Amino acid sequence: MSTGIIFILFLIVLTSLCDTISQIFLKSAINYLNVAISPSIKKILQFIFQLVQVPRLWVGFLFSCLSLCIWLFVLSKADLNFAFSADSMHYIFIALASRLILKEKIGLKRCLGTLFIVAGIILVSLS
Amino acid sequence: MFKKRITIKILLFLVFSDVLETFTQFCFKKSALTASGFEIRNISEVFIFLQGPLSSWFLWVGLLSVLLTFIIWSTILSKIDLSVAVPIASFSYILVPLVSIIFLHEKITITRWVGIFFILIGVIFVSLSSKERELNVR
Repeated sequence: MSTGIIFILFLIVLTSLCDTISQIFLKSAINYLNVAISPSIKKILQFIFQLVQVPRLWVGFLFSCLSLCIWLFVLSKADLNFAFSADSMHYIFIALASRLILKEKIGLKRCLGTLFIVAGIILVSLS
Repeated sequence: MFKKRITIKILLFLVFSDVLETFTQFCFKKSALTASGFEIRNISEVFIFLQGPLSSWFLWVGLLSVLLTFIIWSTILSKIDLSVAVPIASFSYILVPLVSIIFLHEKITITRWVGIFFILIGVIFVSLSSKERELNVR
C-alpha cells in the first residue's frame, strides 16, 4: 500500500515538473514577443496568433500534454484531496524556475507569500 | 516596458481563468472516472486506458475550456511575472470554499479556515512584492 502512495507521489512530482517546464516555455515565448496588449478582443486574438508562431511555445505544449496524461492517470487512482495537496509543490518549482531560468527577481515578500500559499493549500486539501 | 503592477482588471482575469481551470479539472475527473479501477502494467496498456477518457465527451469539453484558459492565461502573462501570476492563481482555493459556504451551506472545519487564511496572506504578500518592484524601478 505504501509503495503505491510513493509511486503516486512520484507521478505527481513528474506532472508538477512537466507543468512547470511548459509554463516556463510559455512565459519565455511571451517575453520573446514583448508586446503590451490592450484589452480588446481583436488585439488579444492578434497576440495569440503571433504567439502560436513561436516554436518554443509548442515545446511547452508537448510538456503540458505529457503532464495532462500523467495527471489523468493520477486522478483515476488517487483521491482528489491528496492529489491537490501534493500538487502544491508546483508553486515552489515555479518560483525556483522563474528565478533561475527567467531571471525574475524574487524578494523576501514573494518567497514568504509562496510558502504561505503552499502551507495553506496543504491545510485546505487535507482537512 | 509595460507595467508590472497588479490591477483590478488583471485580478479579475486571474479569477476568471481560475474558474475555468476548476471547470476543466471537474471535466477531467469525470472523464477519468470512466476508467477507474483500471490496472496499468505496461506502456501499451496506457493507450488502452486512454480510450475510456477519450470516448467521454467530458474530456472534449475540458479540452475546449483548456483552449480558452490558454488565451486568458497568455494575456495575463504578457502583463505580469510568472512567479506572481502562478501564486495569485491559487486564489481558487479561497473561492471554492467561499462559494460552498454561501451557496451550498457547507460547514468548513477550523483547519480549512486556517488554510484559507494562510493562502490569503500568501496572495497579499505576493501581490505586494509585485508593486514593490515597480516602485524600485522608478
